[in-house]
Order: sequence, then C-alpha cells, then structure tokens
Amino acid sequence: MTMTINDSTYTTETAKTKRRLYMELENCIGCRSCLAACTQCGGHEQRNRNYVYDVNPLVNRQTMPLMCLHCVDPACARSCPAQAIQIHETGAVLSALVEKCIGCQNCTIACPYGIPKFDEEENLMYKCDLCIDRTKDDIPPMCASVCPSNTLQWLTEEEIAEKQNRHDLDNEKWVTSMPYLEGETNVKVNLPGILQGTVKLF
Amino acid sequence: MEQVTSKQPINGSNKKHQNNINNAFASHYAKSMFIAISGLAILTFIGTRMFTHVDLNLYGYMVGTIVFLGGFFYRFIAWGERPPTKIMIKKGIKLLFRKSTPKTSVDHLATYKFIWNRGIYRWTQHVMIGWGCLLACAVTFPLVFSWMYFTMEENGMYTIVLFGMDLMVVPADGAIAFLSYNALNISAIMVIIGVCMALYRRLKNMQARAEQQLFYDFLPLYLLLFISITGLLLTVINVFLHGKGHYVMSLIHQFSVIVTLIYLPFGKLAHIPFRPLSVFARNYREHYGEKEMKECKVCGTEFVSTEQSNDVINVLGTNNIEFNMNDGFNLAELCLPCRRKYRIARFSGSPTHQVPVKEANQNAKG
Repeated sequence: MTMTINDSTYTTETAKTKRRLYMELENCIGCRSCLAACTQCGGHEQRNRNYVYDVNPLVNRQTMPLMCLHCVDPACARSCPAQAIQIHETGAVLSALVEKCIGCQNCTIACPYGIPKFDEEENLMYKCDLCIDRTKDDIPPMCASVCPSNTLQWLTEEEIAEKQNRHDLDNEKWVTSMPYLEGETNVKVNLPGILQGTVKLF
Repeated sequence: MEQVTSKQPINGSNKKHQNNINNAFASHYAKSMFIAISGLAILTFIGTRMFTHVDLNLYGYMVGTIVFLGGFFYRFIAWGERPPTKIMIKKGIKLLFRKSTPKTSVDHLATYKFIWNRGIYRWTQHVMIGWGCLLACAVTFPLVFSWMYFTMEENGMYTIVLFGMDLMVVPADGAIAFLSYNALNISAIMVIIGVCMALYRRLKNMQARAEQQLFYDFLPLYLLLFISITGLLLTVINVFLHGKGHYVMSLIHQFSVIVTLIYLPFGKLAHIPFRPLSVFARNYREHYGEKEMKECKVCGTEFVSTEQSNDVINVLGTNNIEFNMNDGFNLAELCLPCRRKYRIARFSGSPTHQVPVKEANQNAKG
C-alpha cells in the first residue's frame, strides 16, 4: 500500500519535472535551424546529427524534421558488439563512445529510423545524443532551443498531457509512439493533423 | 544466432576433443582462468629455469596480474556472450587469415590511422600513451614472471636470458644494455608526455569538455600519471639520492600498478584488450561485402552486405525486436536515406520514400 502511494507521488513528481523532446511535425517550415544548431552543440565536432525531409518534394513544400527518437529499448545499442552505445540515466541513447566503437556499422543497419551516421575516415559512428551535456541539466537540446516554429519543444510530461487534452482529435493523430513508430520512445512525436486547419501564430 | 551455432561443427574439426575438455570445467570462466594460470605457470617454470631465478622483489605484481586475469575474464566473457559480440568474434576468427588482415591490424592497432584522422594532436597523445604502455608491459611482465632476466657471468658483460635461453651477451655499458635498463624510464616519459597532452586537451578543448566525466575520462589518465611518476621517481632516487626511500617508493609504485591493472577491464582502459575486435569488424565487412551486397528494397542501392543485414535482423530477433513492415520488407533491408524517408511517409501518409528525389540539404550549409 505504502509502495503504491510512494510510486504515485513519484510519478506525479517526475511528470512535473521530467522534460522530453516533443515534436509537432506539422509546424516545420524547413528552415533547417535545427541542423545548424546541432553542429554547434558541444561534443558534436561541428557536424549535425539530425535531418529535415521534404514530405512530397515534387508536389508541395511541407517539410518534417527527423532525429533520434531515443527508443526505450534501442535497437542500435542491442546490435552493438562493442557496447559502445550507452543509455544515459535520463533515457537518452548516447552517441558511440569513441574508444569503444569498432566501426562495424551494425547500428546503422539496426536503427529503424536510419539515424546513426558513420565516418569512414575516423572509423566512428556518431548520432544524436539529445545534447546530453545540456539535457542532463534540463537545458533544452540545441535543436529545440532554436526552432522558430515550435516544431521541436522541450516539455514536461504534464505539459504534453495538457496539449493532448486541448487537442482531443479522436482521429489517432495525437502524440504517439505507437503504432506509427517501432517501439516506445523517449521523444514524443505528434502526427500532422493536430491543428486541423487552424491558423497558427508563431 | 541459430545460423552461427549450426555452423560451429563444420568449423571445429576437433569438436569431440573440445567437448571433452569443456566438460571438465564448471564454466567458461573457470576454463579460461585455469588455462591462463596454467599457461603462466608453465612459462614461468621454463623461463625461471625450474624456478631457480625468481625475482621475489616483484611477487606483488605476480599476485596483481592473477587478480587482473580474474577481472579480465569476467568482463571479457560477459561481453563475449552478448549476441552481436558473439557473432562478430566467431566470424572474425574465421576470417582472420584474409590477405588484408596484417595491414588492417597495423592501421588499427599499431599506427592508429583512424585517430590520425580525428586529429594529429589526439594521434600524438594516443601514440605516446599507447606505445608507452605497451613498451612498459613488454618489459614488466617478462621481468615479473622471470621470462627475461640478466646474469653477469663474466665481469662487465651481461647475459640476457629469455625463457631460460641465453639470448645474447652484451657489454654492461653498451647501447643495448643502456636501452634495457632505461626502457621503463623511456616508456614513463612517453606516457607522461601523452597523459599531459590528453589532460591539456580535456581542460582546454570545448568539444571534449562538453561530454567528459571525472571518473570515466580523467581517472585512467591520473592512474597512468601516478604509475609513470612513481616509476620515474624510483630512478631519480637511485641516481640522485643514493637509493634513499627506494623501498617505500617501490611499494607505492607497485600499489599504483596493481590498482590500475585491477581497474583496467572495467573502465575506459578496457578498450585496450577489446580493440582487436575492430580488425574483425573490418574483415567481416570487407569479406561479406565482396561476397554479396544487399540492394535497398526501395531504391536498389547496394548499401551493406547481405550477411550483415541478416545478422542484424537475427540479433535483434534474439532481443525480441522485429522490424518487418506490412509493405513487405524488413527495415534493415532499406538503405539509410530510404529508411528515413519511409518514416516520414509513415508520419505524413504520403509515400515520401517512393518519390525519386534526393534528400535535400542535410548538412546545414545553406
């Protein structure tokens, strides 16, 4: 009984304080600020680790960002023979430890989203680490702190839940890991359609 | 996984024999430990001419080495049991005799070409630390187990004895003798230079500072510095202080070495014994890449060997991760850009991955 009470207080506590990267895909305007910001993160050695894609390039200009979604059970780490991909206590799936990565590229094949990048010259994999030197102290990752259109946000679980209440869409377009992703993720993605045509003021 | 196990009997021609030996031990660990310690004992028996030349001054290192072996096998076996590691080790051993192995080994394990590509400064520090440590180990362990020692049968001439055999007779004030006495001083200076460079980089380089941790990144450097300085102090004490305090300092030095040895398999330094796996990985990619490449199920680009694609699918399967899509492919069968586009397609509903347009501007360069 006491356990349950403790547990529930614990979860409400974390819901208030634990922040996550949250993506509202529809807002993306394709400015690629997130890519530029990524290069400037400490430890990223001037190379970006995220992506922005044209959704239907021959038809319209809609874009969407894509970056590591920080799986709860990450396929990249599971497939790494060297245990080079570590999982931080915040849930972030870190980039390869430089001294351990053996350059087999299993992770690039395993990742269901095609995120890890590989440097042939340096024989080293690198991927989004959710700017761990920032997010471990609850500072938003570089991409979220520069996004001008609120596509990428750094929100507590409570705030995410509030958003869900506000947009009661009843059409499966809410923040979701499943079934649009391959497993539970720490980054929360919200599918296009949430705005339902409302004009958004940035 | 199953594929690998089923291939094992073809591989080991002495399977029956191996099984018999394996049955004698309670575990993998027990077997490795038994073989390693027996090996050490036999080599020492030979090297010391039936235990007649044991340097008891160094027995602390001997005990330290055996404790180190315990930790090392524990760590190494636990690591080797992970499904992806197991595959890489098995296939790597099978492919060990490729033509390119010597070149790859030298590039990866001796000249550290990939570190050169990460920066000349980092390469220099790594060569200093790496080769300093290797040189020190190559001198220390033969001395500890008395595989190598010096005798003076004739005045002024040293006989170097290696594994009980008289290797050569050198003048006591000659160049070879000088290098032998000072090998550990040279290695200590190399390590001190390397560690100081590494520490300077960790203090000044903003990229390194963002992610480094005290106990993971700094502790090994401090330990190496501790070993090198106390080791060098032994020489200083002998040369300048007529050996005053030599006994205490040699105990402090011994302590520093043993602590580092015991720590080695568990921290950052564990990459030293594990690194040869990168040669396996390179052979694995080259060999199976030449054999058959996998074509991306969407765009047809050859992006990885069929073997590796299947291995990854199997390894993920052992972890209950499965990425078979309704569209008729496994995600490990798509090239990376197509896999990313496929995800965008899943998000948006429009088939991005089937639009034959190259991904635009992914490098943030305007």
